[in-house]
Amino acid sequence: MTTSAMDHSHLIFSALFPVPSLSHTTPTPSATADLGFAQPGEPFEGSFVNNPAGQHRTARRNIAWSTATGFLALPKTTSDSDGGFRVHRPLKTQEVEEALRYLLVGEGKSGDAEGVKQEGLLEWYRDEVRLHFAGAVRPVVTELWEKPVSLQHAWDVLEETQRILQQDQDQCLRPFVEHIAPILTQSSFSSSMTFNANDDSQNGPEALYEQMQRDIHALFAYSIPERRFSQTLGYVLYDAGCNLFRLYIRQGKTSETGASEDTRAIRVRMTNLLQNLARVGLGGDTAQKACAHAMDKLMASFIESHFLKVDWYSKQSIVSQLQTWVENGFAPLVHLAMECLQCDLTDQETSELQQWQDMALGRLGRARVDNLFDFVINWAKSLGGILDIKEYLKLPDAKQYLVTHFSKQISRRLLHPGATTTYILNVYISVIRVFHELEPKGVLLERVARPIRRYLRERSDTARIIISSLLTDINDAQDTKFGPGSELSREIAREMQKPMTNLNQDADEDLNWNDMNWQPLPSDASLDYKKSKMDDVIWFLLTLWDRDDFITEMKTIFGEHLLKCQDPEYEKEIRLLELIKIRLGDDKLQACEVMLRDILDSKRINAAIRTNLTTVPPSTPNNPPPHTPPNFGPKTPQLRQTRSSTKHRTPAPTSVPGAAKPEITLSAQILSSNFWPTLRDDIFKIPTPISELQASYARQFEAIRGMRKLDWIPALGDTSVVLELEDRTVEVNATTFQASIIYAFQAQPGEEWAGSKGKGKSKSKAQGITRNVEQLEEMLQMDEGLVRQGLAFWVGKSVLRESHQDTFAVIENLSTLSSSNADDAAAAQEMAEAQAQAAASTVKSQTDLLKEKKGLYSQFIVGMLTNQGNMPIMKIGMMLKIAVPGGFPYGGEELKGLLGWMIEEGRLADLGGGVYGVRKA
Amino acid sequence: MASNLSNTRTGNVAQRLQKELMDMMLSPSTTLTAFPDDENLTLWTATIEGPTETPYAGLTFKLSMEFAPTYPMTPPVVLFKTPIYHPNIDFSGRICLDILKDKWSAIYNISSVLLSLQSLLGEPNNSSPLNAEAADLWDKDKEEFQRKVLARHKTPEEL
Repeated sequence: MTTSAMDHSHLIFSALFPVPSLSHTTPTPSATADLGFAQPGEPFEGSFVNNPAGQHRTARRNIAWSTATGFLALPKTTSDSDGGFRVHRPLKTQEVEEALRYLLVGEGKSGDAEGVKQEGLLEWYRDEVRLHFAGAVRPVVTELWEKPVSLQHAWDVLEETQRILQQDQDQCLRPFVEHIAPILTQSSFSSSMTFNANDDSQNGPEALYEQMQRDIHALFAYSIPERRFSQTLGYVLYDAGCNLFRLYIRQGKTSETGASEDTRAIRVRMTNLLQNLARVGLGGDTAQKACAHAMDKLMASFIESHFLKVDWYSKQSIVSQLQTWVENGFAPLVHLAMECLQCDLTDQETSELQQWQDMALGRLGRARVDNLFDFVINWAKSLGGILDIKEYLKLPDAKQYLVTHFSKQISRRLLHPGATTTYILNVYISVIRVFHELEPKGVLLERVARPIRRYLRERSDTARIIISSLLTDINDAQDTKFGPGSELSREIAREMQKPMTNLNQDADEDLNWNDMNWQPLPSDASLDYKKSKMDDVIWFLLTLWDRDDFITEMKTIFGEHLLKCQDPEYEKEIRLLELIKIRLGDDKLQACEVMLRDILDSKRINAAIRTNLTTVPPSTPNNPPPHTPPNFGPKTPQLRQTRSSTKHRTPAPTSVPGAAKPEITLSAQILSSNFWPTLRDDIFKIPTPISELQASYARQFEAIRGMRKLDWIPALGDTSVVLELEDRTVEVNATTFQASIIYAFQAQPGEEWAGSKGKGKSKSKAQGITRNVEQLEEMLQMDEGLVRQGLAFWVGKSVLRESHQDTFAVIENLSTLSSSNADDAAAAQEMAEAQAQAAASTVKSQTDLLKEKKGLYSQFIVGMLTNQGNMPIMKIGMMLKIAVPGGFPYGGEELKGLLGWMIEEGRLADLGGGVYGVRKA
Repeated sequence: MASNLSNTRTGNVAQRLQKELMDMMLSPSTTLTAFPDDENLTLWTATIEGPTETPYAGLTFKLSMEFAPTYPMTPPVVLFKTPIYHPNIDFSGRICLDILKDKWSAIYNISSVLLSLQSLLGEPNNSSPLNAEAADLWDKDKEEFQRKVLARHKTPEEL
């Protein structure tokens, strides 16, 4: 009982896991009588003792077995080093034939008659093949594959492998085909008896053959390292593809010549290799995967080499070319390879071309997106590349990819402190244009532009640049104004030139049923996304801020611009104001309107008053008589036109008071102070002739405008100054304070100091009148800083020179100027220009405002520290931001300065550790 | 002011208080100041100096002011933080002053309240004292009163 149970389980085990070393027999030498075999695990004597009936059959079977196996045996070792081997098969004798027949279809087919399973010949042969392979073929193959295959030898290795395996396969299958199959075929024809159910041969010799072949292929497949094989095959296919598509990207190996023969040869070679590999069973999944990899890589390389060139000239998309290539070049190649590998092509035939085209487009698009920032910078020329991306965006996920990558590029290449605001603005404008082309609905733009807009909002000079650029006339501005470091953006100015568009769009275009070009919003638009009504660039710029913030900023800059503007008609300003009114609504822009009206009224009323005054010469303020009044000294600043801004409640006209100096004309701009931003109001004494003019102007004004009082702002305005020096005449446009300073160098009658120095040219020719900084401060009651600025200006004009420290003299004669003075002049000019920039601002800068509001802020600080006790500087700053109406727009440094000043004033005490407290009286 | 009266939202209180703060800063007084404690502006600390020629001369007093969302319709709650000996102020700092109670009007503001308190120091209303002993001493023994004032007073640093 135990024995049979053991047998049974053993049989199951060995059916599942054949163990060749145990179950396989070598052909018995024919001379030796074999008494049979005991199955492993079976009592050795069992087959003899327990089966006396089978004794005869066993003997006969053993003999037949011996004959057949001897005949069918395959060599077990490699016969020579190159892996080639020949089997010298003995002739097939009658005896062999009979033995085979006996073992295959006769009684000796299998020894199961007595319930003991004996090995069938077919199984034996299968094992034989296995052993043969392990012994004779595998070492050769292993040798080929045990090291990584170098690229140069990839073709050879594959072909060699294929050849060896093919040979082996032929060798192993031939006996089966020639000797075993015919007998089986005969038998299946002659009798309807089915083969033993234990065998897998019930389907006839074809099935057996196939199974045999499958076994062999499995052997082959496992003998070769799969990964390495797939890599090598992949490379080979890739290499073939490169050659076929004339891609010369392999290192060192270029074979441009004879390409046509090459390609044909390579095509044949590749086809053969693939077909043969398929024949030895290496064309399965592994090979197909390798093929897919190779084709994928091939596509990448091809796109890289052929389609990455943007069409800069005709600005066309190259996507259609790419599609054509995929359809006519790539797809046939893939089909060829697949056919060779005997893949089943039918099921995906229809859609796969589209898939490949999408894959190719995806690759191209991603490559394009990686360069999108460059395309943006070179916008208009880069239209071709942009159109490619537009095609790419039709693919799923493309938008996400684009947004992510473009945002990365932007933050890396644009939004850093090294980029000037002007540059960022220009790029932003290009971004707007590019994305308008990419997706007119603007959903993408909204996404990618968000970080740029946020960043631009943080920059303090953005609004100024935008508005001043809007006010710049691109036609008369020199190129230098738009230089890289400039504060003006040419793009914005150019946008301004464009006619206004889209201004009378329908309220809701979704309800416009007649719009045949209507398209739904892209699927990635958020639910409440609403495309802006106006999609021109300026709209985007104007919406960078909250409306109110922008208007506040706008007021400041607009006012400054109006005061500086030379255009008598104020055409651009009117246009800009209208433009902004349309966009931002006109209710908030009263102040700007009032400013503009002030200026226009001033102009008109200036003219009106001028005609009232008969003493005024007919010439306009712009063309004053150039000569000097005779009672002025040799170096007389002649104030030709003064545009003084007047601070007053109402706009009113002014004219030139002609009483004292009819040659000097004075035009005033009357500003309604409530509506203007805080203006500079440095106080200093203006030259007497001018102040006389002002007084007379004010009288006129009061007469016309119902006794309204004028409040002069001497710091604003500009003058034309004509200086008549000994050897030359200098004509300069200067600001009022500069003019006042040079007027102060006028010899003053009754001034002892001037007298002793010599009045004018008569006494001291080489040495002009000198003044030092202190004297000037006193004479003009001007701030020292302003005095120095003015002096630097004149030194730069070679009118003054610094004779001693802080003492300046008029250069009456240029010939007296040494070269070092000239250098000084140049240096001073630079300095003056730099300072002029700061000084030119008519509206107060934040720093100026800090100085001005110092008193108020310090009051807050005292109040805070008195009531809340001592505080660290951080908290002081925080509380100031909260408590001061309008906020405290300064950082820690400014606050420190302020606190330091208060300590000097004796109001605060620094308690150490950044803590401040009120000083006790 | 009219809109403030009709609208009692916190935003308007904050606006009103901010404006009062600004007014006080623009016309600063050396003897009375006030400043908000934090960003919501409803809690303030005020500092007043004792009026000269009174027992409180030279002394500094801290007060807390709390503004309800209904301010200025309702008076602020004002307490002396500095201990004070005064006929109309109890030992917890509570003040008996008609304009902080039934006589309050929306035209008063922080400055006027502080000014009233300052004058209360010099002219206590002895007819309705919170601190009867003080009221008594004020009338009868100024020296003892002065002594008690100084004894009770603490400088802000001591608090």
